[in-house]
Amino acid sequence: MTGARIAFDHVWMKFHRGEMHDSLRDLLPALARKALQRGPAAADLAEGDFWAVRDLSFEVLPGQVLGIIGANGSGKSTTLRILTKILEPTRGRCTINGRVGALIEVSAGFHGDLTGRENVFLQGAIMGLRSRDIARKFDEIVEFSGIEAFIDTPVKRYSSGMNARLGFSIAAHMDPDVLIIDEVLAVGDYLFQERAFGRISDLAESGIPVVVVSHQLDRISQLCTDAILLERGVPTFRGAPDDCIAAYVQPSPEAAGEGAAGAGAAEASGPIAFRSAVILDGADIRSGDWCTVRVEGVVHGHVAPTIDPLLIRVRSLTTGKVVFVSGLRQLGLELPQGRGFVANVQLQANLAPGSYLIEAASLDTLTRQNLAHSPATMLRVTDPGTFRGTAQLNARIEFEPAIRERAG
Amino acid sequence: MAQPRQRSMRSDLAEIIADFGRSRDLLTQLTLRDIRVRYKQAAFGFAWALVIPVTIVLAGLAVRVAISYASGHALETQQLARMAVKSIPWAFFVGCIGSATPSLVGNITLVTKIYFPREVLPIAACLAQTFDTAIGIVAVALVLPFLGVHASVQLLWVPVLLVLLWALAAAAGLFLSCANLFFRDVKYMVQVFLSFGIFFTPVLVDAPMFGPRFAGIIMLNPVSPILEGLRLAVVDQHNLLEPVFSQPGNWISWHPWYLVYSAIWAIGGLLLAALFFHRSERRFALYV
Repeated sequence: MTGARIAFDHVWMKFHRGEMHDSLRDLLPALARKALQRGPAAADLAEGDFWAVRDLSFEVLPGQVLGIIGANGSGKSTTLRILTKILEPTRGRCTINGRVGALIEVSAGFHGDLTGRENVFLQGAIMGLRSRDIARKFDEIVEFSGIEAFIDTPVKRYSSGMNARLGFSIAAHMDPDVLIIDEVLAVGDYLFQERAFGRISDLAESGIPVVVVSHQLDRISQLCTDAILLERGVPTFRGAPDDCIAAYVQPSPEAAGEGAAGAGAAEASGPIAFRSAVILDGADIRSGDWCTVRVEGVVHGHVAPTIDPLLIRVRSLTTGKVVFVSGLRQLGLELPQGRGFVANVQLQANLAPGSYLIEAASLDTLTRQNLAHSPATMLRVTDPGTFRGTAQLNARIEFEPAIRERAG
Repeated sequence: MAQPRQRSMRSDLAEIIADFGRSRDLLTQLTLRDIRVRYKQAAFGFAWALVIPVTIVLAGLAVRVAISYASGHALETQQLARMAVKSIPWAFFVGCIGSATPSLVGNITLVTKIYFPREVLPIAACLAQTFDTAIGIVAVALVLPFLGVHASVQLLWVPVLLVLLWALAAAAGLFLSCANLFFRDVKYMVQVFLSFGIFFTPVLVDAPMFGPRFAGIIMLNPVSPILEGLRLAVVDQHNLLEPVFSQPGNWISWHPWYLVYSAIWAIGGLLLAALFFHRSERRFALYV
């Protein structure tokens, strides 16, 4: 559908901390109190209120895939609920043109006593599908879920994986004009996840506007054309997904404030400040290849012997974990004399395919505290097709001649 | 620019009707779910639909035996027919309220996670109850000839009265499901109503038995004229447009205005409940 579009126009969302009036007994005194004193204006924060989303605006047009990332409590779920019309914003407006498909809570409508077949129709109807459309796509849905054999079994006997797979299959077979995706990329086992991700990629690439919320940063990096970083309800960064992810993953809390991706996000306390860290060979390399990271920095003062002035840290976006750290101290090297330095760090990417963030940092080896770090740069390791796993061990396989003789 | 949309009663009602038009399939599926869940793994199966009306008739029998002993009048089979005719719609009304009231809170994961017009939840509960009632109506229709009640042209009143009852039950269901979401003690008030409502409604007894002074009060209950109307039309084969004079004293125990009174409650109540529901719908996820 042309004209399909998702737009947030200065959306604010207020929540109340603590309990709401749950019974009449609580309400009556509260009403009395309200009647006696002048209540605060509706748009302002009353006691115990807080903004879950503050002044969030974005527009997603056909062909765009917007990723929203952020820590728990940053307002992602609230944003999703506003997008799916479950919540109405306190201020501002959310506009969606076109039929909404939501890959959210894909099996929330299931009833345990009903069979898989009955639940497909029920859940489909809850998601806004017409019964005759479900009937038409029924075989496709069941085949995709891979639980044909159990389709006439009550879902209370399903494993949670089977539940989620069936739910995902229903949701994935809607023909939406716009698509909203929550953390459903982690559904089922490895193979099903790949299949589900493939399906989502197909939908995203079909040119409809898509909003994705996920903690699987590598998926965001693969899927999205744009990204927004939310922190305590405020969009603190927007731009290319990789830059956004870098801004999110960087460990220093103050770096997120302003110009997170800008050069020279330096902590004042250390003797070293980094200007940049750039991969010279381009961001995409094959697993097993070498790449060079060029790090530029400035030395402000005396580098104490307990300080490792330059180390390289590589973080996996799939898991968020550090997969590799090495520094001058560990390698037995010294920082050259002078006010500034440019270092070319050569790394062999013996890594599993995926996205990684590389940054340079200096560290106090006693307190294990980061003294400074460079802006992170994204490295994408592509699949050489020769192995699976989390590390490239460069397997070499040779046959001994003796075995051949014995076999012959 | 970011002003909240102006709401008028007419636009809201148009929205409600449009919502229902769009979610016909959802309404069907939710109703099927409620019916299936009720009868799956149930030893008695569809006989369950009759358990409550039969219990009501038995309770009524107990009451009437006591009355007949105290008053010295013998018990007639027609009295059994009167209770049977009224027990089914009363079971329907009670069942609707009982299953519609928790319908939002019981589907809380849906309400907070997926968007769809929430009106369908209490309405589907009422529709599922309608299915049970249909079984009951068939059963009563089969039994009535044996109790000496035969078909008459006054049976044409039955659909009118049932539609009014349905509207009344749906209105109560919409309002109470919504109220129960905001205040959980509504559920307990409803339980009290479900247990004792039968004493304030002419189900086990007929309104004229309350006498000229109290019959009028009992008829203030909007369900009473509907049940009395059913009894008069089906068992006594009375045209509801004509008043009924009761002895002693020739007082008026039925007047067509009673019907109008109930109709105002049913239609007005349904409109107001739908509006109330629709306007609070957006706050459901916040207050749950």
